[in-house]
Amino acid sequence: MGTIHVEVVSPEKSLFSGDAEEVYARSLDGEIGILAGHQPALLALDTSPLKVKLADGGEERFAVHSGFLFFRDDRLVILADRAEPAGAIDRNRAEARLRELEQRSGGEDEDEAAVKAAIRRQQVRLDVASG
Amino acid sequence: MAGSGQIRQLRRRIKSVRSTQKITRAMEMIAASRIMKAQRRVGEARPYAEQIHEVIRGLAASNAVSDHPLLAEHDAIDRVGLVIATSDRGLAGAYNANVLKIADRAIRQEEEQGREVDLYLVGRKSEGYFKYRGRTPTQLWTGVSDQPTYDDARAVAETVMDAYRKGELDRVWLIYTDFKSSLTQVPHRMQLLPVEAEEFEGGSEIPAEFMFEPDPDDILALLIPRYVEAKVFHGLLESAASEHASRQRAMKAATDNANDVINKLSRVMNQARQDQITTEISEIVGGAEALSGN
Repeated sequence: MGTIHVEVVSPEKSLFSGDAEEVYARSLDGEIGILAGHQPALLALDTSPLKVKLADGGEERFAVHSGFLFFRDDRLVILADRAEPAGAIDRNRAEARLRELEQRSGGEDEDEAAVKAAIRRQQVRLDVASG
Repeated sequence: MAGSGQIRQLRRRIKSVRSTQKITRAMEMIAASRIMKAQRRVGEARPYAEQIHEVIRGLAASNAVSDHPLLAEHDAIDRVGLVIATSDRGLAGAYNANVLKIADRAIRQEEEQGREVDLYLVGRKSEGYFKYRGRTPTQLWTGVSDQPTYDDARAVAETVMDAYRKGELDRVWLIYTDFKSSLTQVPHRMQLLPVEAEEFEGGSEIPAEFMFEPDPDDILALLIPRYVEAKVFHGLLESAASEHASRQRAMKAATDNANDVINKLSRVMNQARQDQITTEISEIVGGAEALSGN
């Protein structure tokens, strides 16, 4: 089976570049898995966990906070507004932040949508961090 | 004695020049290390900008982009926005003066054509400059110029994009300093809005079997603001690198100059000391002679 060349870039830097067998992400409409030979695609990503199964058997995980996925001719580019590799996420802090946000949600004068989005972000980060 | 007062004064001046030199040398070294970092950040930001440009070009080849609000030219140009990137701190040689010169020229050109100019300033130095000339910035960002983050760039870009979409601005220029090398930095003016449709020409067309989520027009509407943000970010990063390079050069010149001054003062001081000693000896000899003559 062929491999895909994957690049994960954010405006501040390029986070990953390498060959992978499978890539999983979540677009605005739902989960998507990409293998070599997949139909070309351009998707907008919401807050999404990104899983890259490497050609050499390893795995890289990222938390992507909105961005785009562009796939063409077995080249995959993730243009992330913001992306964190799993190793850079502090699980304890993410959990603490999540609990704090959950308490705030449902409060009187909170911007409910913003809090929900923040909660979703923290959940994705935790997901990614715990694999 | 007349000489000792002069010597004390010279010694004090030398000491003061030396301590200034310590500061300029420290600033020179800090700036030198920051150039490297700033240059690296310019390089690290490049892949994103290139990729997003490529994707937009691909989309633009098969979809109409020119009616996007950020690409659409306004019928009449009455009000122009200027985004000007300067530094927060001085002691950077002619860095700020060069940017502001270009900015002034741009303002003059626009005003000669009867257009109003709104200023969006990055850096405290430009604020001071324009305040003195009786211009108040529409918006000001400080604490950014040293090490700009993408969020900073985004805040700037969003402000002008909003104003453009609402029709408050009919054109936006970005004035920043291009970092050519650590020896040359060139202030540069670039049209930020409207985004010119030619920038998206020449892409290889995206074939019909492409899978889009959401549809291409919506994706383009999401991508184009990112493109503008990346441009502003690039401008800020280039400016930061230029600022550090300029400061490094200015501080190196100051350090070298301090060395010259110290050398010159030491020479004068040594001369004065020698004169004093000579005077003392001749006085002693004269005194002894006078005594022995008795």
